[in-house]
Amino acid sequence: MALIRCCFEPPELPEFFDSFVQKCTDPSCCCGCCSALRPRYKRLVDNIFPVNPEDGLVKSNMEKLTFYSLSSPDKLDRIGEYLYQKATKDINRKRYKLAEIAMEAMDLLLQACHAQTTLNLFVESFLRMVQKLLEDSNPNLKIMATNSFVKFANINEDTPSYHRRYDFFISKFSSMCHSDAASMRDSLRLAGIKGLQGVIRKTVSDDLVENIWEAEHMEKIVPSLLFNMQFCVNVMFVKKNLLASGDLTPVEDATNVTPPALAEEVLRELVGRASFGHIRSVLKPLLTHLDRHELWVPNTFAIHTFRIVMISIQPQYSYTVVETLMQHLDNNFKSSPKTRTSLAVVLSKIIAIAAGESVGPSALDIINNLLTHLRTSVSTTSEITPEESQYQEALINALGEFANHHPDYQKIEIMLFIMNTVPDLSKKSKGDQMLQNILLKSLLKVGTQYSTVSFEKAFPASFLQPLLKMARAPHNPTRMVVMQILQALLDRHQNEQVLSSVSVKPYPALSQEPPSRSDIIFTHKYGANIMQALIDSMALSDRVDALTSSFNTAALLIVEMSCNETVQEFLLFILGIQQVACTVDTLGNVHKCSLHAISIGLLVLISRVSGINNLLEYAQKIVDARREEASHFLPPLLEPKKLAGKTFNLQLPHLAIDKLALGECLQNAGMDAQRLNTGAPYSLNQTDHPGHRHSWVESVSNQLTQRNSSADLTVYNGDVDSVSSSPGVCKKLLAPEFNFDAMKRALAEPTEAAKREQRERQMQIVRTFREGEFDDLMRRTEPKHDLIQNRLNELFNSLAVERQITQSDTKSSQLQASNEKPIYETNFPELFYY
Amino acid sequence: MEDYKFLFKIVLVGNAGVGKTCLVRRFTQGLFPPGQGATIGVDFMIKTVEVEGEKIKLQIWDTAGQERFRSITQSYYRSAHALILVYDISCQPTFDCLPDWLREIQEYANSKVLKILVGNKTDRDDREIPTQIGEEFAKQHDMYFLETSAKEAENVERLFYEIAAELIGQARSKDGSSSAAAAAAQRQSEGSSIGLGSFSAKAAQSNCCGGLASGGSNSSQGG
Repeated sequence: MALIRCCFEPPELPEFFDSFVQKCTDPSCCCGCCSALRPRYKRLVDNIFPVNPEDGLVKSNMEKLTFYSLSSPDKLDRIGEYLYQKATKDINRKRYKLAEIAMEAMDLLLQACHAQTTLNLFVESFLRMVQKLLEDSNPNLKIMATNSFVKFANINEDTPSYHRRYDFFISKFSSMCHSDAASMRDSLRLAGIKGLQGVIRKTVSDDLVENIWEAEHMEKIVPSLLFNMQFCVNVMFVKKNLLASGDLTPVEDATNVTPPALAEEVLRELVGRASFGHIRSVLKPLLTHLDRHELWVPNTFAIHTFRIVMISIQPQYSYTVVETLMQHLDNNFKSSPKTRTSLAVVLSKIIAIAAGESVGPSALDIINNLLTHLRTSVSTTSEITPEESQYQEALINALGEFANHHPDYQKIEIMLFIMNTVPDLSKKSKGDQMLQNILLKSLLKVGTQYSTVSFEKAFPASFLQPLLKMARAPHNPTRMVVMQILQALLDRHQNEQVLSSVSVKPYPALSQEPPSRSDIIFTHKYGANIMQALIDSMALSDRVDALTSSFNTAALLIVEMSCNETVQEFLLFILGIQQVACTVDTLGNVHKCSLHAISIGLLVLISRVSGINNLLEYAQKIVDARREEASHFLPPLLEPKKLAGKTFNLQLPHLAIDKLALGECLQNAGMDAQRLNTGAPYSLNQTDHPGHRHSWVESVSNQLTQRNSSADLTVYNGDVDSVSSSPGVCKKLLAPEFNFDAMKRALAEPTEAAKREQRERQMQIVRTFREGEFDDLMRRTEPKHDLIQNRLNELFNSLAVERQITQSDTKSSQLQASNEKPIYETNFPELFYY
Repeated sequence: MEDYKFLFKIVLVGNAGVGKTCLVRRFTQGLFPPGQGATIGVDFMIKTVEVEGEKIKLQIWDTAGQERFRSITQSYYRSAHALILVYDISCQPTFDCLPDWLREIQEYANSKVLKILVGNKTDRDDREIPTQIGEEFAKQHDMYFLETSAKEAENVERLFYEIAAELIGQARSKDGSSSAAAAAAQRQSEGSSIGLGSFSAKAAQSNCCGGLASGGSNSSQGG
């Protein structure tokens, strides 16, 4: 019937007639006529496609298909399969609009049916469809397919998906990230990045699916992300890459998100999800990419990338990044110094973040690695080039940055560790000398980060002794680094700049604070050793910079440690410097003059900081005298080279600092001068001071004895106070008891209160009688007796009704008799009232 | 049902500028792109062909030859079924780099991957690498050999069809089919008896007249 009607219906137009005839001869027409024979799901799928592809999906029919899928879940996979077949045919015939409609239908079904147990089979068709669209060269299809994949990645599937592979998607999305299409480059790159993000999200949360952390996948994903990030960080690289790709006009993407921004976001997400075993899987291709694309010099992009990694990584794994980067530095030991410098700079930028997570052995492990690189750099280069020097500087900076983020007690450990790696002074080769210098510079870098509170903690003996040995190094630069280390650790009040040159001025800008008890003890134990090392170092060179550096250290020591208990030792130190200048004939004349200038400068300084006016006047007198007769004995220090041939009058004993005069100044100021009077000034090459130490121990013990006496006095005073306070309290408590007015008020109070008062008084009286002496009891009884007698007389005379209770039986009975009368008296007025 | 029987992944490697992208474009789109720029990263093309009565889908990954993209391109070797190593017959350095490429392939690719050596740009007059040199190199390293011209479309389709045929044989022998196994055994026997990895030599064994004519043409060209 339908067929007959179709054939015999009259045509309106010739074209319509031709198409109508064609439709009659088409097998699908027969299928349409016999629609009852086709499965329902196929009819529903066919119906969502419009006659005109430009019209898009038929919404109402799509709703029917969705409803059918939800009510018949077992048909879901067949629907997916059929949609895939139709799309395949349409793509092969380049009917892209129809393929897009099929993909759109797939998306809608996926979202509506994501909770279905039969979703797995549908997803197989879904992913095959996505792959089909991605395979085509049409960019619009690729972008659409990627968006569909992202929707799929964001769905939480209730049932696990086994044996699902994403190899093609990773390969394809990575390829799209490098798209160089003329018109839609950024759109395709953006789609590629989104696709990779989808794969990451889909796979990392599901342990049953493909392992994305394998090298095969990471080596595609990471370079693709980094390649896109490069276009954002550095304009130079943008130009470089654009020139390489031959495209000088980048296309602006319509959306707000740009490929560099999204790539960075995905990298953060990837790094943030990586666990311990997977961090290296990410870092290895990252480092390889930086190598291949020569992104270490300049290192702007590398720094940016590693900052992203350190910020995104789980904190407990940040140590791994530092370790991997240092390993990479190992592998690059043959690279140019510039590359190694860039690596070290990147390391110093990120090492601070990792420092917070490193504790104990791992901290020293990193330090050891850095020191190893320094040693390698020193040992493998016969001559230091500026580039190699920059590399070493970068390593030292990395070490300093790392130490800076550790607590101070760990900085001490780090300094100790570095000190132990410094070659001994007995090794005199040029290489060892350079190594000493470079390692001490590393130590100085850590020392500048340390905030000294207590010298005992800043200078443990195992650290101080080797340091003072190095202070006697024959190599000037090495010795000066040691001085800088001592200055960094001694300077607690930022006086280093104020004392940076030898001077006899009054130092008005000094910042000062009395030393603590532990500091004084430290000075007694180790001050002599420090001062001995300083004298030895001053004698080793006549260069102005070396001598000034030693002076600076000595000045800081005096400023920080000067007090009544230490001033004598410092004066012996100053006298020692002068004595070296007077007695050591091997020193040059200019050297001797410099030592004299230093000694007078230190004398003026200690007079100023100790506040001993007599000493200051004496020092000023010497300064004035030298200014007239011997200006070469005053600062500023003389340049040895300029004055090599000049002769100076060095035999001026009346202008020298006199020990006896110093002793008199102290005594006139009311201070002890015995140590100064009996002690010998410091001299060269003394390794220890047993005599001095013994003397100081005696002094300390004496002071402790005095302290004990003071304590005893305090205790005695306390006892006296406690004894005297008790009787006062007793007296105050008892005094109101026997006042007539008080008793009158007590009797006038209500009965309950009166009883309470009576009980309290009884208790107090009992206590007084128990504790008091017989004479006291007699004295207290008499006034009481008189009061009671007067009271009784008054009571009898006035016939007033009042009650009284006493301890005495006789008086008690009399009081009872009086109480009876009040009863009658009380009853009588009542009778009158009635 | 699927619209293809087998899916094979083919990766092209070789120095920058030897014509890898032009070969792929000529095969997949039938055109020679003028002024082709350097490939960035990895490019992807797909084509379905019919070989020996079977529909074969070829996934072709065209890699960048520049050194800086090496780390990502190497990751594509791993899953490749066939690797096409391309050099430019008019540029000696591209041939001199072949040992380096082979070392990479050996390190990153499957050990059983099919390797084909292709000398491209036979349309140029300034040839620097004689055909015999290429053949000998391929023979030493157990590779198939073919010279092509993407510009003139010479031997391009043949290159990919031969690869597809070879991969089908491998796939069938893997399937364990008796007839396929026999065919594979016969091919191996032919290969070993001839002692050459050349497509032209293999084609000469064909019984069809077209094959003979083609073989003759190659022989004259080689001479």
